[in-house]
Amino acid sequence: MNQRVRITSPQTRLALRRKTDAMRRVNHKAGRPPIASTAIDMAGAERALRRQRRLALRTALLLGAVLGALLLASALVSGLLGWAVLFFAPYPLLLALAAGHVRRAEQIEADS
Amino acid sequence: MLGLAAIGLVVLSSVVIGVWGVRAARSTPDFLVASRRIVPGWNAMAIAGEYVSAASVLGLAGLLVKNGVGAMWYAVGFTAGYVLVAALVAGPMRRSGAYTVPDFAEYRLGSLRIRRMCGLVVLVIMLLYLVPQFKAAGAVLELTSGIPYWVGVVGSGLVVSSAITVGGMRSATYVQAFHYLLKLAFVAVPALFLVFLAGPERRGAAVDPIGVDPNWTRPLLDIDNSGHPVLTTLSVLVATTLGAMGLPHVVMRFHTVAGARSARRVAVSVIVLLGLFYLFPIVYGLLGQVVAPNPDESDVVTLLVPGKIAPGTIGTVLTALVAAGAFAAFLSTSSGLLLALAGGLSHDLFGGSLSRLRLGVVLGTGLAVALALPAADVDINVLVGWAFAVAASTFCPLLALGIWWRGLTATGATVGLLIGAGASTGSALTSVFLDLESGVVSILLSQPAIWTVPLAFAAMALASRPGSVSEWADESVLRLHLPVRSGSATPDKSFDSVGGTG
Repeated sequence: MNQRVRITSPQTRLALRRKTDAMRRVNHKAGRPPIASTAIDMAGAERALRRQRRLALRTALLLGAVLGALLLASALVSGLLGWAVLFFAPYPLLLALAAGHVRRAEQIEADS
Repeated sequence: MLGLAAIGLVVLSSVVIGVWGVRAARSTPDFLVASRRIVPGWNAMAIAGEYVSAASVLGLAGLLVKNGVGAMWYAVGFTAGYVLVAALVAGPMRRSGAYTVPDFAEYRLGSLRIRRMCGLVVLVIMLLYLVPQFKAAGAVLELTSGIPYWVGVVGSGLVVSSAITVGGMRSATYVQAFHYLLKLAFVAVPALFLVFLAGPERRGAAVDPIGVDPNWTRPLLDIDNSGHPVLTTLSVLVATTLGAMGLPHVVMRFHTVAGARSARRVAVSVIVLLGLFYLFPIVYGLLGQVVAPNPDESDVVTLLVPGKIAPGTIGTVLTALVAAGAFAAFLSTSSGLLLALAGGLSHDLFGGSLSRLRLGVVLGTGLAVALALPAADVDINVLVGWAFAVAASTFCPLLALGIWWRGLTATGATVGLLIGAGASTGSALTSVFLDLESGVVSILLSQPAIWTVPLAFAAMALASRPGSVSEWADESVLRLHLPVRSGSATPDKSFDSVGGTG
């Protein structure tokens, strides 16, 4: 907690990165991955990736379905009700979708 | 005059908070440690503060007056994009430790060529996004103080580029967060006043427009009455939703968040903040349709409504407030965009240093100002829509496939980026220079996302030959999804000094 941390602005950081870039390019030439390898639990990561990917696809498809349904509703309904739906309905739906996704994604992380 | 004074005050307070914010950050050793425990709400406000641009404050209401209530779809798409950011990008992107999209491309694909290409795409998207911001600034200044449009645009360019150099505007999270609150206050409070002052008759006419063109009240977008509203709406929705996921300056902001977990949570909070904000430009649009329905002035309708509803002192004060809010939107978005653009120019393309970064800001401002001068008559939201369409056709597939699919190779990404960027910018340019008859073809050219996004995805997937997947592709993708407690989830400490993987 009491460790001292160097603080730089994003601009300085960008400029400083130039040096590390050069070092990483040398690593490229040596046929090594640009980032230092530390052993990772490949099998566990594999399982996490598969589960997270399934969840991400599900959320993306649900988002498509929600927006599609809204579009259909807008095409069918006109007048006061039409814009009222578009004014009030989307945001709670989008929020519920995203919150549900995050809850499940965190569950997967806790499991693995 | 009051409007100009309010705008001046906004500029001044932004610079002061920026300078003070930088000092406070530097003199407090615990700042970064503390920032890991910062409530996600502050980070979310900073993201929303940068994202809610002049296009949202002015353009949305303007398009609503001009094209009808279907313009609300823009707000829906702008917000829906964050569902995808939360689900697909925020967590893994934070784990990669990459600061920008080109950084990420280099991490994942291990190729400098792809980094340069991404740098170029960043330039295109940022310029398309910047031009309407300067247009909005020019229009606000012209309307509130009678300054000629070109003087306003050039002056705004000077103000922004010097504000970045002096204040380092995006250096502190709370400068951006301050801008979100400022925008919300200066747009929302006058809106509530105006709804009250409008009286029952005009309120009724705004809520239930009678005697207006039925195309206007239909909640679908139909630009230039092309007769294909569903197709137009769908294409705009694809561009805005998927484009938000690929916007370089949005992706960039997640790097200040403590870790993958809070990155996702921040994206969810952004949805709340955007959903709240976007209600108000629509209120201005609906009132504007009643009191200032002139389509030629639609892009400044937000500023006209207060004066029409409450002539006299109250109207003048409210107009000044809204003008200040709009200028705050311009200031925060354009400085974020300019830094992303300058970073792209100096770092990704030419191997940068601090002086080159400053030069990049000046160059970028100059370009955007030069392009904004002839754009006085182009709708703000049309230009912003193109920025989103290009982002959706380039960085959206790059990030989605790069994060979730090991099979993506540098060749695949290169081909996909070339085709996506070429098709989207090409058709947008064609729609400007060819005066096509309004119809399916003109929609597919002016709102190209509906076909360029699938095309870019397909190109990236097909050009990534199976069998050429390297060991590094395997490892780099797995690292993006490692649960936090498994140790070094930030693969490269040099990417940022914040760290924060605990």
